[in-house]
Amino acid sequence: VGRRTTPARFVAIAAALTLGLAGCSESADTGDDGGPADESGPITIGAVLDITGAGASLGVPERQTLELLADQLQAEGGIDGREVELIIEDDQSTEDGAAQAMNKLVNEDEVDIVLGASRTGPSLAMRPIAEQSQIPMISLAANAAIVDGSEWVFKSAQNDRVVIERMIEYMAGQGWTTIGLARDASGFGEGVQEIFDEVGAASGISVVAVERFAPDATDFTAQMVNLRNAAADVNVIWGIPPAAGLAQRAYAQLGITTPVMQSHGIGNQVFLDTAAESANGLVAPLGRLVVADQLPADDPQREVITTFIDDYTAEYGESPSTFAGHAYDGWQLAVDALREVGTDPQALRDHLEGVEDFVGISGTFTMTPEDHSGLTKDALVLVTVQNGEWTLLPDPGA
Amino acid sequence: VVDLLQLVFAGLSQGAVYALIAIGFVAIFTVSGVINLAQGEFAALGGLVAISAVGSGLPLPVAAVVAVVTVAVVAVLMERLTIAPVKRMTTLVSLILTLGVSTGLKALMLLVYGPDAEGLTPITPGGFTVGGVSIRHQELWILAVAAVVALAVYWFYERTLAGKALRACAEQPVAARLVGISLGRASLTAFLIAGCVGAVAGVMASPIYFTSWESGLTLGLKGFVAATLGGLVSVRGAVLGGLVLGVLENLTAGYVSTGLRDAVAFLLLIVVLVARPAGVFGRSAEARV
Repeated sequence: VGRRTTPARFVAIAAALTLGLAGCSESADTGDDGGPADESGPITIGAVLDITGAGASLGVPERQTLELLADQLQAEGGIDGREVELIIEDDQSTEDGAAQAMNKLVNEDEVDIVLGASRTGPSLAMRPIAEQSQIPMISLAANAAIVDGSEWVFKSAQNDRVVIERMIEYMAGQGWTTIGLARDASGFGEGVQEIFDEVGAASGISVVAVERFAPDATDFTAQMVNLRNAAADVNVIWGIPPAAGLAQRAYAQLGITTPVMQSHGIGNQVFLDTAAESANGLVAPLGRLVVADQLPADDPQREVITTFIDDYTAEYGESPSTFAGHAYDGWQLAVDALREVGTDPQALRDHLEGVEDFVGISGTFTMTPEDHSGLTKDALVLVTVQNGEWTLLPDPGA
Repeated sequence: VVDLLQLVFAGLSQGAVYALIAIGFVAIFTVSGVINLAQGEFAALGGLVAISAVGSGLPLPVAAVVAVVTVAVVAVLMERLTIAPVKRMTTLVSLILTLGVSTGLKALMLLVYGPDAEGLTPITPGGFTVGGVSIRHQELWILAVAAVVALAVYWFYERTLAGKALRACAEQPVAARLVGISLGRASLTAFLIAGCVGAVAGVMASPIYFTSWESGLTLGLKGFVAATLGGLVSVRGAVLGGLVLGVLENLTAGYVSTGLRDAVAFLLLIVVLVARPAGVFGRSAEARV
């Protein structure tokens, strides 16, 4: 048997090599120098989302949003008469999944621009590929590290730094000086403690205890017991649902009465469902989307937000989450750029970097070469939970 | 001390879930030498079926029964379609087969129930505090139900004819066949037990730990480690193994580092396999089950 398999294996390897070479030469043909010819065909937008796995409560509404917007754009006749094709890949909430999906979108599908990923870790895994292949990418995740010093990467979610600025402002107003932090152990929570200490220094606020939890963790007793012992003035839970909700529940269940703040990672119904009554009274800086009905009539974002909520609710029978909002903003930024400058990657990048006063769901974007996120702390309002509903807190500045 | 008790208690209820899943591993392995990698999926499926049944308006007890019956049927079908037809079953073949079933079940659950993790309504909501240790009602329910199920399985093996027949297959397959015990039926019964126990684990765990299409992976791995602590052949060992694992995980998370929580199971597995492959809590080989 052994002797007979050898030629067969050789043939298989040879075939694989041949196919591989053919694949390479094919992409070389159509890749770089397809510029002018590309200007008439369909425009392709790729998206890498956490559709399954720990980030599913983010990725699913993001997918629904992109599909809805792509259909709307199609109905309007595309961009300058060119059809727009949307290709969505699932990264299974993993870093390597995101890198693979990104490679596929860039090399096989040859997309013009990439949206995603939903969370920080996968987005960071995609960044070097975007930089190397010089394809503009708009991440939907939070951590500022995704865009720090990047040339080709932008993001549509509020930076963790501006979120923390908002939180510190609130803490200072309450006279709190010590923070107990329970944070996501993945990319989303990376560096958060340092930013709290840095931003809080001016107000004498610092982190006195840090606990970590995996984004797919289910039991939080240990972390919350340690937070209780740290006896800080305020505890911060920094994560995404369902983990953030389960942590909130464990916190309340242990009878800890210290006030809790959460991050902007919790802006969806899954969080409210998971945390249930334990969520009452927590304070979190969130995008305006979740409190759209409570916004003042002259709020500049009100119209964009209301239209999106109506469209989304009509299509899917549920209201959109803040994550759906990040996808909306990413898509609109991409479409706006494609409409203005076409599909040339360099022109797209330059246009995105120059975006000014672009009213979206998560805030009003103004990008600069130094800031590829474009949102300030004005993009966030402080929200609390009352009887299972998001409730707008009065603006401390007002 | 309060912290220690709190961590131990939370660990016990988590451990009881591992214990139930470990019983499923033991039930199948003793009879047929099959390591059923789909055991965790039984629990995930049980939880998801119960959640959707409650969602469609059924009362919780009915939903729980529906879940257990559904999973039992799936387990029996799995045995008939994938395990029974194989003429010469080795542990390796069983690993590959059940891994395939596990992957298939996961894909099916993802298709039917979607990617979100959800929780079942607790049997009785709320909790109370004793001497600074806060306890959720559901945790007591988990412990109670796990104890009842474990005792029932134990009683079945020790006191009933069918149970004794299963033990006979485990200890002396040839002799068992000589006295007229059908190995095929024994294997089917073992899967039935594993399905029921797995579903109960899933239904009980869901209100606290939530269930998604992929939660079976972790549960299955932890259950397997718990079963290995008992040498894979002892129900008593599996239960003890589950409880010890749950408590150790929580103590590690509380006192060492929360990041090490999931590493505990695997460190334990390596230590046990190297030092005492027959299991820590199992008695020697002649006292199987």
